[in-house]
This record gives sequence, structure tokens and C-alpha cells, in this order.
Amino acid sequence: MSTAFTPVSHKMSARDVSVAYGDNQAVKNVSIDIDMDKVTAFIGPSGCGKSTFLRTLNRMNDTIPSARVTGEILLDGENIYSADMDVVQLRARVGMVFQKPNPFPKSIFENVAYGPRIHGLATSRADLEAIVERSLKRAGLWEEVKDRLSDSGTALSGGQQQRLCIARAIAVDPEVILMDEPASALDPIATAKIEELIHELRGRYAIVIVTHNMQQAARVSQRTAFFHLGQLVEYGETDNIFTAPRQERTKDYITGRYG
Amino acid sequence: MQRRIRRRYAAERRFRVLGAGAVILSAAFLGFLLFTMVAQGWRGFTTTELALPIDLHAAGFHVERARLNTPAADLALASAGLEDAVENAATSAFGPDGATLIAPSAWTVLRAAVKRDPAILERRTVVRVPASTAFDRALAGEGTPAMKATVARLQRAGMVVRGFNWTFLSESDSTDPVAVGIWGALKGSLLTMAITFLIAFPVGVLSAIYLEEYAPKNRWTDLIEVSINNLAAVPSIIFGLLGLAVFLGTWEIGGRVFGPMLPRSAPLVGGVTLALMIMPVIVIASRNAIKGVPPSIRDAALGIGASPIQVVFHHVLPLAMPGILTGTIIGMARALGETAPLLLIGMRAFIVTPPDGVTDPATVLPVQIFLWSDEVSRGFVEKTSAAILVLLAVLLAMNGLAIYLRNKFETRW
Repeated sequence: MSTAFTPVSHKMSARDVSVAYGDNQAVKNVSIDIDMDKVTAFIGPSGCGKSTFLRTLNRMNDTIPSARVTGEILLDGENIYSADMDVVQLRARVGMVFQKPNPFPKSIFENVAYGPRIHGLATSRADLEAIVERSLKRAGLWEEVKDRLSDSGTALSGGQQQRLCIARAIAVDPEVILMDEPASALDPIATAKIEELIHELRGRYAIVIVTHNMQQAARVSQRTAFFHLGQLVEYGETDNIFTAPRQERTKDYITGRYG
Repeated sequence: MQRRIRRRYAAERRFRVLGAGAVILSAAFLGFLLFTMVAQGWRGFTTTELALPIDLHAAGFHVERARLNTPAADLALASAGLEDAVENAATSAFGPDGATLIAPSAWTVLRAAVKRDPAILERRTVVRVPASTAFDRALAGEGTPAMKATVARLQRAGMVVRGFNWTFLSESDSTDPVAVGIWGALKGSLLTMAITFLIAFPVGVLSAIYLEEYAPKNRWTDLIEVSINNLAAVPSIIFGLLGLAVFLGTWEIGGRVFGPMLPRSAPLVGGVTLALMIMPVIVIASRNAIKGVPPSIRDAALGIGASPIQVVFHHVLPLAMPGILTGTIIGMARALGETAPLLLIGMRAFIVTPPDGVTDPATVLPVQIFLWSDEVSRGFVEKTSAAILVLLAVLLAMNGLAIYLRNKFETRW
């Protein structure tokens, strides 16, 4: 099922998307709209297909040979699974932050500069340095690392590493940022920082965050989608989902009956 | 309960003693090997020379001065009887058997001295000439009593000079053990290794990348994997036969004869054959190293829009490099010590001039060792050991380079 929002032209729209790994149907007929300036949270119990669905939004599932995606996903009205869509270009527009912080084993500077460099976004060294500084500032990491940009990115703490990964994602100036349980490997203080950061980034990007922490979904998102057994059960304003769910299954989940 | 704990500790101790014993045993073997090689080989790096007083003018030796600066100088000196003059000088200086004390090549030393300084023709002088193998052996305590007595007499007279054998490092094979050198074989080995590396490393690493990162997982790639694993275990002499048949063989197709593709006995054909031999080792090691790179790094790079080839060359390959280099070095070390396949493709020839390029006839260190170990003359025993020491030194240098490169590429996580 789907829920339509105004405005009519959505940043991303999924229509009847199904994903199968071999014979295993992981996502079934999901239709959903994602808009700019909003944080959309995907919640649901483990194995409900929310991460799988998230990965279809920038075609990261392409790397899994057995995964088959049907239906269509539109980015600014253009089907990202069509033959003339360039995957490399797509992933520059739809960035991704993963569950486990995965900085490159290179310097902090190189971590952030890598994306702009391969996409040719900087014309000079000064340009590149400006992009790195801006990205680290937006990710709220600049003050902590500005004096040691040449240190290895893997030497940072877990929370700092995750913010470095966010800086790396926003350095290529994406339109949408996908976050796959970005705080699940972090301690509460680091988690709070990430959530704060998501708030600050909201105005610039469409953000989609997968989480199995319902409080987190309530705190950071404006819209929430509840997945169960590969289906999108309910999608709506976060306040409504948590206070007045329309579906019985949603209610059971958020009241802790299963999950 | 107490007894069980005691038994566990006893088992622990037993295991540790066994482990330490194994280490000590292998260290002892290694030490024994090194000791025998050094003990026998060190004399290979030394020369025994005799101080030969000679007066060519008094001996009636005459050659036109003008001819000494021409290319025909060697011929002029030889035809004027320089060899006889040297032998006569040895007889008068060292006694009736003097001619047998100096090496057959001794007169060439004098020839070189005369060309350098023609004044030698006019006055009495003392030249250091290499001693004969028999003399050298007697000095090492292995000769007839008569020869030993002669050695002792000349030593007392201060006519025996020992020194470092530069010839051994700068010359090539010879029939006379005092005149042999390792340089030809060493250069042959280095050229062969260069060819092997240039072919096996890129092809092996690219195969591994393709199989690991691009190839679909199906029955064909399974078959390829099994074949590669089997190839790594094929006896090396089979690769020699392959190289012989493919690179040196000829085919008659439609009345026209094709081949051989590569020159015989050359580092080129040896290098290609050894490359075929070590490629499976490099492929297997590289695949394991590539497999060891965490998938999260690939995700990270793909997630910001790197193309698959950028993922491989910017991230996966640098992280896999230490493992790839380790595998490559194991393969190269195996190739460096390989004898059997090279015998089949003609690299066992008697080569007296070092190869100038990869297409010149050459031999390699292990084959040279094999050839010398087959020689009858006792003088070759220490040369064989000395050559083994050179081979070990090259091996150590190669491994040292590998360790240096590995540490350079090693990432701190």
C-alpha cells in the first residue's frame, strides 16, 4: 500500500518494487514516496526487508548476483533501473552510510576527498580542500579533526568514524542520503551526535534512515514506514504512526508485542 | 578434579616441549646446512696466486712494440711464444715441475700485463699468476705428498699469495676450476627472473582480480579454480616439457615449417617457462589476499559512486598487495631455485660469456651448481658450495626486498 503526500513531484518514488534473492522474496510490492527536506525512517523487525529495500534505492543490490529487482524506482521522475541510467552517477546522487562505520584505511582527508576526486568535482587542490572542510563541518567533525587531517581515518573512535563516513557521503553533493542503521554500532553519546547531525542535514538532502530503534525513528524522522515480512504495512507522518497507527500490525510492533 | 587439572597442565607442558623441540630440530638442520656450505664454500671466494719472477728480455722473447696497440696484439704475443716463456719462467723459479704449479691460463695474465705496460718486455719483473688446481688443492691439504712438499717450500719462500677471488664474481664458466666465475650464471638468473616476473605477476594478479571480482560463480569458474589448484602441484619438469614443445618446437602446417617461437637456451624462453610454472601460485595467493579485503570497503567505495574498476584499483588491490607480494615472492623463490625445467629447454649449456640480453644463450645459478657438482675435478667442489652461497644470497636479497615492500604497503587498521 502507499500513501501520497503533497507536493506531487516527489524526490524518489518506488512503484510495486519487489526484491527476490533466488527463491526468497525479501521485499513484496512496495510503493513509497520520499521527499526533500524530510527524514524518512524505515522501521520493522529483523529480516523484514527494510535494509534490502533501502539498498534498491541506489542499486547497491546490484553487487549481489542472486538479487532480482522488479517494479520501478523513480529519481526525479527517471527510472533508476532503466538501461540508460548510469549506476555510478546514480550513487553519486543517492549516497549511502552503512551500519558499520567503514572508513577507507587512508587519511581523514583522503577519505573525504576520494568521492570529489573520482567525480572530478574539484578543479584545484584549494578547491578540494574547501570541499573537504565544508563536508567535515557539515558532518560536525571539523573541530575534532582539523589538526590531524593526515591521520588515518581508522584511528578515530567509532562515532567519529561514522561521522567521517557521513562527511564522505556528502562530499559528492548527493540529493538523497540513505542510512542503514547508522548508529546501531555506536554508544549512546555517539548515537546522540549522529541524530543531532541528521537533524542538521535535513534541510539539504532527502534522508532515508533504517533503524530498529523505535525511539530513534520517533526522534529523528518526520515520516515513518513500517515494514513487516517484506511488505510495507504502513507509511505516514511519524507522529501519527506512533500515536495513532491505523494498522493492527503496526500497533503491535510499536507497543512491543513482537520485534 | 585435581587429577584432571594436573593432567591438563602435563599435556600443556608436553605440547610445549614438543613444539620447542621441533623448532630446535629445524634450526639445527638449517645451521648444519649453512655451516657445511660456508665451510666448503669460503675457499671458492679466495684465490691462490704465485709470485712469478720473469725476465722476458733475457729469455729471448721478442715482439714488435708497434703491434701491441693493434687488435692483433693477442695473436702477436701468442705466436711469439709467450705461453712457453711463462712456463719456462715457472720452471726456473719454482723447480722442475714448475709448469704444473701455475694455471693453464696463467700466461693470459702476463699477456694483459704486457699490453698494459710494454716496459715489462725489457726488464725483470714479478707477476702474480693464478696457481694450478693441483697446487690449490694441495694447499687445501688434498694433494700428493710431493705436491704438498712443493707448496710448503714455496710458502716458506713467500711466493704464495692468497686473496679475494674477484674473478669468481666477474667471470663465467670455464673448464678450469681456478678460472671459473659465477657472474654469467648470476646474470642469466637475474634476466630470467625479470622475464618471469614481468609475465607471471601482471597475468597472475589480473587473473585473480577477474576471478574474484568479476567472474560469475558457476561450473566453469569452479572448473578453472580446480585446474589452477592442480597446476600449482604439477611437477616442474612437466613445465619444462611444455616449454620445450611450445616455445622451441616446430610445426609443419601445409608444407611450411613454423617455429621455434623463441631462441634456445635463452633467458627469454626460461623466463616464460618459469612464469607458466609459478603463475598458479601467484593466482592462488592473490585470490586469497583479495578475498581477505573486507566487503565493507567495497561497499563504501561503491556507495559514493566508484566504478567497479576504481573499487579494485583504488581500494581492493592496495589492501591485498601485502598478500599478493608474499605469494609472488614464494613463487619467484621457487623459480629462482628451479633446475629441472631449464635443463629441458637447453639452459644447461657451457656458457663462457655472460648473456648481453634475454635472447643470448645463458645458464642460471641452480643449473650452474648442478653442472659444477657433476665435474670430476676436485676444485669444483668448493666452487659448487660457493655458487650455492651466491644463490642463497640472491634469495635472501629477494626476500628482503619483498618484506620491505610488504611493510610499505601494509595498512594499519
